[in-house]
Amino acid sequence: MADLTVLTGVETRDLSKLDEYRAIGGYQALDQARDMERQAIIDTISEASLRGRGGAGFPMGRKLSLVPAPDKRSGPAYVVANADESEPGAFKDREIMRRVPHRFIEGCLIAAQAIAADAVVVYIRGEYLTEYEVLSAAVEEARAAGIFGGTDVIVHRGAGAYICGEESALLESLEGDRGQPRPRPPFPPVAGLYMQPTLINNVQTIASVPAIFQLGVEAYKKLGVESAPGTVVYSLSGNVNRPGNYELPLGATLRELIFEHGHGVAEGRALKAIIPGGSSVPVFTPDQLDVKLDFDSVQAAGSYLGSAAIIVVDDRACMVQLALRAEKFYMHESCGKCTPCREGTRWLVQLLEKIEAGDGTQDDLDLVVEVCDRIEGKSLCALGDFAVWCVGSYVEKFRDEFQRHIDEGGCPYHGESSIEGVLAPSDQHTHSAMAEVPA
Amino acid sequence: MTPENAATFRDEVARIKARYPSQRSAIMAALRLAQERHDGWLPPKALVEVADAVGVTPAHVEAVASFYDMYNLAPVGRHIVEVCTNLSCALVGAQQVVEAFEEELGVHAGETTDDGKVTFRLVECAGGCGYAPVVIVDGRYKEPTRPEDVPAVLEQVRNGARG
Amino acid sequence: MSAPELVTVTIDGVEVQVPKGTGLVETAAAAGVEIPVFCYEPRLGPPIGACRMCLVEVEGMPKLQAGCTMSATDGLVVRTAAASEKAADGQDATLEFILVNHPLDCPVCDKGGECPLQDLTFRWGPGNTRMRFPKRTMDKPIPVSPLIALDRERCILCYRCTRFSSDVAEDGQLVARNRGAQSVIATFEDEPYRGKFSGNVIELCPVGALTSTTYRFEARPWEIQNVPSVCGMCPVGCNIAATTREGRVRRILSRNHPEVDGGWLCDKGRFAYSHLAAPDRVVDPLLRRARRYDELSWDEAIDEAVRMLQAAQGRIVTALSGSETVELAYALGKIVRQGLGSDCAVLPEEVSNELDAVRAPLSRIGQADVVVILGDEPVAERAPIVDLWVRLARRNGAEILHEVDDARIRSSERPVLIWSGEGAGGNEVARLATSFGCPGYFLPRTANGRGAADAWAAASDGEAADPDPIGLLIISGDEAAADPNVRAMAEQAEAVLAIAMFRRPLVGLADLVLPGTSYLERDGTYVNLEGRLQRLRRASIPPAPDELAVLARIGAAVGVELSAYPSLVFEEVSAIAYGGRPYGEVGEEAPLPEPVPPEAVDQVSDTRHVPDGQRADGGLRLVTYKPLFSGPAVERVPELEFQLPEPDIELAPDDARQLGILNGQEVTVRSNGTSVQLRARLVEDLAVGAARVAESFAAGLEGRVEVTP
Ligand SMILES: Cc1cc2nc3c(=O)[nH]c(=O)nc-3n(C[C@H](O)[C@H](O)[C@H](O)COP(=O)(O)O)c2cc1C
Ligand code: SF4
Ligand code: FES
Repeated sequence: MADLTVLTGVETRDLSKLDEYRAIGGYQALDQARDMERQAIIDTISEASLRGRGGAGFPMGRKLSLVPAPDKRSGPAYVVANADESEPGAFKDREIMRRVPHRFIEGCLIAAQAIAADAVVVYIRGEYLTEYEVLSAAVEEARAAGIFGGTDVIVHRGAGAYICGEESALLESLEGDRGQPRPRPPFPPVAGLYMQPTLINNVQTIASVPAIFQLGVEAYKKLGVESAPGTVVYSLSGNVNRPGNYELPLGATLRELIFEHGHGVAEGRALKAIIPGGSSVPVFTPDQLDVKLDFDSVQAAGSYLGSAAIIVVDDRACMVQLALRAEKFYMHESCGKCTPCREGTRWLVQLLEKIEAGDGTQDDLDLVVEVCDRIEGKSLCALGDFAVWCVGSYVEKFRDEFQRHIDEGGCPYHGESSIEGVLAPSDQHTHSAMAEVPA
Repeated sequence: MTPENAATFRDEVARIKARYPSQRSAIMAALRLAQERHDGWLPPKALVEVADAVGVTPAHVEAVASFYDMYNLAPVGRHIVEVCTNLSCALVGAQQVVEAFEEELGVHAGETTDDGKVTFRLVECAGGCGYAPVVIVDGRYKEPTRPEDVPAVLEQVRNGARG
Repeated sequence: MSAPELVTVTIDGVEVQVPKGTGLVETAAAAGVEIPVFCYEPRLGPPIGACRMCLVEVEGMPKLQAGCTMSATDGLVVRTAAASEKAADGQDATLEFILVNHPLDCPVCDKGGECPLQDLTFRWGPGNTRMRFPKRTMDKPIPVSPLIALDRERCILCYRCTRFSSDVAEDGQLVARNRGAQSVIATFEDEPYRGKFSGNVIELCPVGALTSTTYRFEARPWEIQNVPSVCGMCPVGCNIAATTREGRVRRILSRNHPEVDGGWLCDKGRFAYSHLAAPDRVVDPLLRRARRYDELSWDEAIDEAVRMLQAAQGRIVTALSGSETVELAYALGKIVRQGLGSDCAVLPEEVSNELDAVRAPLSRIGQADVVVILGDEPVAERAPIVDLWVRLARRNGAEILHEVDDARIRSSERPVLIWSGEGAGGNEVARLATSFGCPGYFLPRTANGRGAADAWAAASDGEAADPDPIGLLIISGDEAAADPNVRAMAEQAEAVLAIAMFRRPLVGLADLVLPGTSYLERDGTYVNLEGRLQRLRRASIPPAPDELAVLARIGAAVGVELSAYPSLVFEEVSAIAYGGRPYGEVGEEAPLPEPVPPEAVDQVSDTRHVPDGQRADGGLRLVTYKPLFSGPAVERVPELEFQLPEPDIELAPDDARQLGILNGQEVTVRSNGTSVQLRARLVEDLAVGAARVAESFAAGLEGRVEVTP
């Protein structure tokens, strides 16, 4: 597989070991970068048009250049790696940290070099215990080998909160507060961690950096599509025969991914829906199988590539139940800071429960759509949007199925749906003794 | 904690604080540490210990602890078994796995067995969607776990030591 | 400072020019447009954009923006709900979401009628609810403290209260617990919110979630009157509005004076008002006959008072409390000094007029880049609001020093000096400040000790001679009555005449007691620690005649002409002491006169020394202080009991280390024979070599103390 840039070498070697990684040219990109002017490093990454893999697809080069130069800032600057990977459907950063930790560390150090950062902080989600151990071991190995130079590297564990993947909430959490998003501006490159200039990038974005220097910008840009060069690790899951991570050049079609790499829908069932970028993004229908999986193409088709997490849904799943389960997630993860998200997600859960139970009225169904409209674009961070893009698109694309719940006074699947009665954490008494479970 | 333990706890937290540019950043690690030292959960006195060690008010510590799912503010069993029921896991039968555990353990999700050995609960997407359904035992992923694997998993839990 | 760049912003078609960076909410206000808000409150620090009430449409931005988090930039074009469909819908949405779980108990809610949520819903909100599910219910109300009740169902999670606790008072006690829809406001393990400023969260709360236990169900907004006055509980003189119903004070609110209090009050000023109705209040003149006191008619009482005054044949000593208005102190002075030739007084404290040369608004402290705090007593115990100004300065990056670091002060741009403790009435700090050419503040012990001294001085320029034996001791006010020195004099004196509000601790001490009044029951003026003359207004009818009226009658009897009207008496004092400033000019938001040039003030001779910071052997220098939560008023307010100080001894970290003492550790404190068990608390603001204990726990301790683990 010549086309790998992030997971290169994993099939033949244990790259969690420093010498193994060095054996395939590891940390040479860093040496290269250290011989370059800061600006030259930034230019290289800009020319490669590396776009963020964490969800928004923002060009990393532009973010780098937003960080004030050392002579234009007082106090330290930081690189923060977003390893909180919590988007339902996504499990790529986990694999990167477990299998190529050094490539990720190397990327961090190159970024640090580019902005003359004093320290790198990796915020890894608390549930990733094994990955934390592997990454920490690699960090210590690299530290011992004197690879860090003047830069410190800190690995910080989260403790179970999806919102901490949102960059400003992540910073709050890192500073020892509740992980609630900050209003912006100021943006992290100007005032981030401890209100100091901070570059925040996703694990995979950072892990993609060394290849740019090793292959050279030209060769790198030959991969993927023009608007988004390089490769991305697609996380494939759901009702598919061969789920898993597949690193491919950007722009592979859904069809290739699901039917070639994933060997088709499980148990030969019919394909019903595809979620192209993690549970947060609008859903696709089978007629959209030929959409290319890169940022712009997916967006042109009405959704987002997000974290490139593709969830395959076959014809046994009730879309109302799917919407309800998804919304319970957002209700549970809403940080509680802003009104529309905190109150709206809970209201949507109540409405969807009612509809799924067969007690829903036409008004309730219309209200679902309106509540979605009233949340979208009005919350403090994008979680509010995520919480309605999924449900909103389910209703839009599968309206008749929602309608039948109203008309037939019950679920048309009559208890036969593949996700029938699935419980969510918010259905049980939570960890907190005093928290009451929402009705 | 005994006074000696308390002292070593303060020292360990001091070491953690030293790692960060700002001491408050040590709260999350300190909470995890305190939880390990208090049978897997955070009684009020543990929160006070963390507050003293980090140098913030107990109220702030409780505010932080109650924000995150992995800090337990109520007692838990010696082992914690968790099942992810988010979309990808749900689509491939997570609920059947949940029911299998409830069956075997005789408790509902969110409860602890009478012998105090196992707390069984649900979690949101654990990042194992490609290897679903995902079960987590004392922090270690068991992927995938099907209903028929449940007895074996619990067997391990019962004889296995913590973590 | 250089003039800030002006930018032009268009709001709903109206162009305004404001300094670059002005908040959008203020910018809109300048254009005559209101942007409604809940969570936005500049006094709490940077905006958090949480409630989303302020959504506006901004040209060039696809999404609605939270107006509260934006600031004025040149060419910015904004449309608010008044001019934009989209913004209007956004606000309607926000209100609908807020109301989804907000209970409909407005009829029994204390906030009803003065509730921002009600008002904004009325103007911008949806006419009906589409919420058909049972609303979230929780236990209500739960006590946040004996002073504050919390109704979590009403809470809209604007985080104003928690931000006040963490970012203004910096006590970090009121926080948000849990996440998402389950978030609630809470204290640690539901312990009471102890702190000097907790009551401010009641005023900050935009709904009826945080209410005052002492005001709960006391009145409806349309039945009340808010009387603008000044707090008489400490020398800061916070501006207050006393809410009255049927002539009785029901609550105290802040009446934001930006230079004095910034809109905050301490809990003493906010909650102590119920002492007006204390059971042992003196309401009739009392005359001691052998073992008991008889009530007298006012005519009898005045005859008796005059008789006592004349019987003393000039051997009169007058003990003032510092709670008298300028007018009362002057009236007393005029009677005994001009009328009876008795110039001897026990003033509550000396306050140096050298301070006039370095006076500046308290708000200056908040803008300082170096704050030097001298003296041994905690600022918050003497003048609580000053502590908030100091914290604001620190948050703005100021350095807080506890000794005079010449170089540091001279190299700074905006230094200020504060003296908290005994210190020659402030001439020490006045001289230091003069030498640095910066503002200097002295924190007196009494609310109007300064004004009382001015007035006494203005009453005559006769020379004081100590009478021996004392023919008559006049005790003016309850604070003087509680003062050990005054009580000692009373033992010696042949007769004692007291004017006081309460029977305790006068009973057994005074021969004649005339009913006194409180600052909430008087018209007149106070001089605060800045040297600012402020107007007191009668908020509630005292249970006895006005003191000034009584004094006027006594004056007449001894041939001293006195008006019964504060305004006229003030003119008289002002002509002598305040450059003839007219009463009217003191006004609603009193101005602070310019500092007088140093050479113009006559110097007081004696000065004392700055604490040397030496740890002399033989233990630590004991410093005792009068806690904020103490005194005749506080003692009569049961709700404030939980605020009384803890049995702590405060130590400087250096000393503690030397003595091997940890924060929170139980220690033994010894001095000449006495030994007390106290809990050690390490504090940064204490001079090395000092050990600080609240009066109430220092019984028997004095001089140097030995502290051992
Ligand atoms: C609710 C929410 C959750 C997010 N979770 C993650 C996450 O788990 N990992 C991540 O890299 N980015 C996440 N993001 C995106 C980050 O805010 C940020 O855009 C990203 O880390 C930037 O890195 P990139 O430019 O390399 O993509 C999330 C955003 C939102 C609004
Ligand atoms: S209690 Fe009041 S001030 Fe505090 S968060 Fe709730 S609504 Fe805001
Ligand atoms: S006032 Fe702007 S979000 Fe609350």
